[in-house]
Amino acid sequence: MKFKSRPAVALVSLSLAAVALAGCSEEASGGGNDEAGGSGACKPADVKLVGQVRNESNPYEAAWLDGGDAFAESVDLSQERLTYDGDSTKQQEQVSQLLAGDTECLVMNILPNGDSDTPPIVEQAQEAGAYLVTQWNKPADLNVADYDHWVSHITYNGVESGKQIGDALSEAIGGSGGIIALQGILDTGAAKDRFAGLEESLAANTDVKLLDEQTANFSRQEALEVTKTLLTKHGDDVKGIWAANDDMALGALEALKQAGKEGEVAVVGIDAVPDALTAIEDGAMTATVSSDGPWQGGIGLAIGYCVATGELSMDDVAAEERAWYAEQFLIEKDNVAEYMEPKTDEADFACDNVFSRSQGAIS
Amino acid sequence: MTLTSPAEHVDTVVARPQPRRGVSFRDAGPPIALVVIFLAFSVLSDDFRTFTNVQNIMDTAAVLAVVTCGITFVLMMGSIDLSAPGLMGASAIAVALLVANNRNGNDLGLLGVLVAVAIAAALGCLSGLALVLLKVPSFMTTLGVSAVGLGLATLMFNGVQPNITDKMLASWAVERFLGFSYLTWIAVACILVGWLVQRYSRLGRYAYAIGGAEEVLSLSGIRVKPYKVAVFTMAGAFYGLAGVMVTSQLSAGLVQAGRGFDFQAITAAVVGGTLLTGGRGGVLHSTVGVLLVTVVINGLVQIGVSPYWQGGVQGLIVVVAVAAAVLPQRRRNQVVK
Repeated sequence: MKFKSRPAVALVSLSLAAVALAGCSEEASGGGNDEAGGSGACKPADVKLVGQVRNESNPYEAAWLDGGDAFAESVDLSQERLTYDGDSTKQQEQVSQLLAGDTECLVMNILPNGDSDTPPIVEQAQEAGAYLVTQWNKPADLNVADYDHWVSHITYNGVESGKQIGDALSEAIGGSGGIIALQGILDTGAAKDRFAGLEESLAANTDVKLLDEQTANFSRQEALEVTKTLLTKHGDDVKGIWAANDDMALGALEALKQAGKEGEVAVVGIDAVPDALTAIEDGAMTATVSSDGPWQGGIGLAIGYCVATGELSMDDVAAEERAWYAEQFLIEKDNVAEYMEPKTDEADFACDNVFSRSQGAIS
Repeated sequence: MTLTSPAEHVDTVVARPQPRRGVSFRDAGPPIALVVIFLAFSVLSDDFRTFTNVQNIMDTAAVLAVVTCGITFVLMMGSIDLSAPGLMGASAIAVALLVANNRNGNDLGLLGVLVAVAIAAALGCLSGLALVLLKVPSFMTTLGVSAVGLGLATLMFNGVQPNITDKMLASWAVERFLGFSYLTWIAVACILVGWLVQRYSRLGRYAYAIGGAEEVLSLSGIRVKPYKVAVFTMAGAFYGLAGVMVTSQLSAGLVQAGRGFDFQAITAAVVGGTLLTGGRGGVLHSTVGVLLVTVVINGLVQIGVSPYWQGGVQGLIVVVAVAAAVLPQRRRNQVVK
């Protein structure tokens, strides 16, 4: 029995050592939460930039971190790239470790794993005095204005994007005919909002009929199988496929290819992943919506950097800029060329311009 | 079972892996459930009982069948294997980068497929070695190796999706022979190979015996460890092939190619009558389980059950099917843990 636990002991002691080392690398110099209003007076060179996303194995989040690097380079700093493999516990651990170090001039641009992961991150950052910008996920009842170090929360109006691609799909099939919808993970806000957008679009395009709605959990593999099943069920009645993200749209494209219907059915998605853009360029796919990942990676750091260095005072950040919808872009064949190469524009990150893409406060 | 001597017991197990009479009745549970569910959906939906839909069910079941083939041997030993997602991800990305693709100039064709399968087999071997040498439970080693596989896949992925242009690999999902896609035939071949290994090779028989009574086996002087490693290696090879098949279906190598397949495969195997405690079931049992699970998923979509209800209904049908399947042998299950 004693024998069995040896590897475990080794593991535990190794990880303890790792934690201890990580703790030592930054000398604890106390929280910097004494400035009034949360505005900082850090020297630009002292600012530490951190971008955290789920993983680098999806092009969107990889591009996000690249955008962060681009911003960091523009202010002669570098970004620490963190990924937590979509694991909430791991995300919290990484954040705790970061905040155990020198936090006075720490700027974090974080993609919380889910709504419920945001509150602990916010509480810790507030306590440690780090500058935090979160994106996509936060519980509706958590108010950004209650925290002076949680500078901003940025998200996108899913109803709007669901409607945009719904309208593009209706147009592509000539305003009438049957479509099928592939929903995302049903208990996520993104899936709910995007589908609500489709319903709005259907209400306006009365000749377009929703034949079936199924979930494919945002997965390409599942979308392939679900689409094949729906194609055998509805046959040639299917003129268009609405997918709540591009991965599912790409899975649907494969299903069409296998059914010999490539090019006969219009497909739309959301997220603007590189393969979807190529498919739009080739004419296989009709439309997608971009939230501009590289911009997201840069803007969170830019806002935090501007406040940390005092170039932007928290007093000047309006209430509607604490939690806001950012602009998103419908991509179709005629404008796809502009989005093929992920790039950032330095002008977007200038301190007097960081809120320029706001579409209004989150209601 | 009363034993006169351990050695005799081993002989019994090794020489006659097919258990005694009364067993055929027990084994009939899942196939009967499959037929009943299939007929029920056929009555409920016109679209379900078409030949196109049967083709579709078989095509869909192909990948899961191959994964389940591998996992069955591990379950027969009484171990558990959660490494499928990582191994499938690694092999999916590897094969996408080795055959003709949009990322590099490689064009290894079938050789690329073999290398990808070999990578997964090597990772499977690693699980087995960790299990027998470090004595870490299979639950943990395979979970760890899965993470290693995903890590490898992420490294190879390197931010840009590899899309395959290889004609041979792409044709697997699209071309048909006797009405079924090549992938379905590959799955059939895997099941056949799996069954032959299980029925006629020492590896298969020992896998049963290890699950049935490992102590007895080692007491009779048989070295169990090499067989355990071999079983995990073989399972890895099956997952690797499954990863290649997903790549063929999606025309792209995805890190997430194997997401969810670990639990789906375990569910299918158990539904088919391969017990988690080991020593029971087999490749053919598990295949019935795969068809059962696939038919349920397909049928619920065909009869138009709302997606909000499907998860729950699927689970319920699986529980009922398992309960029905084990009913004939309930008397023999002294404990339900």
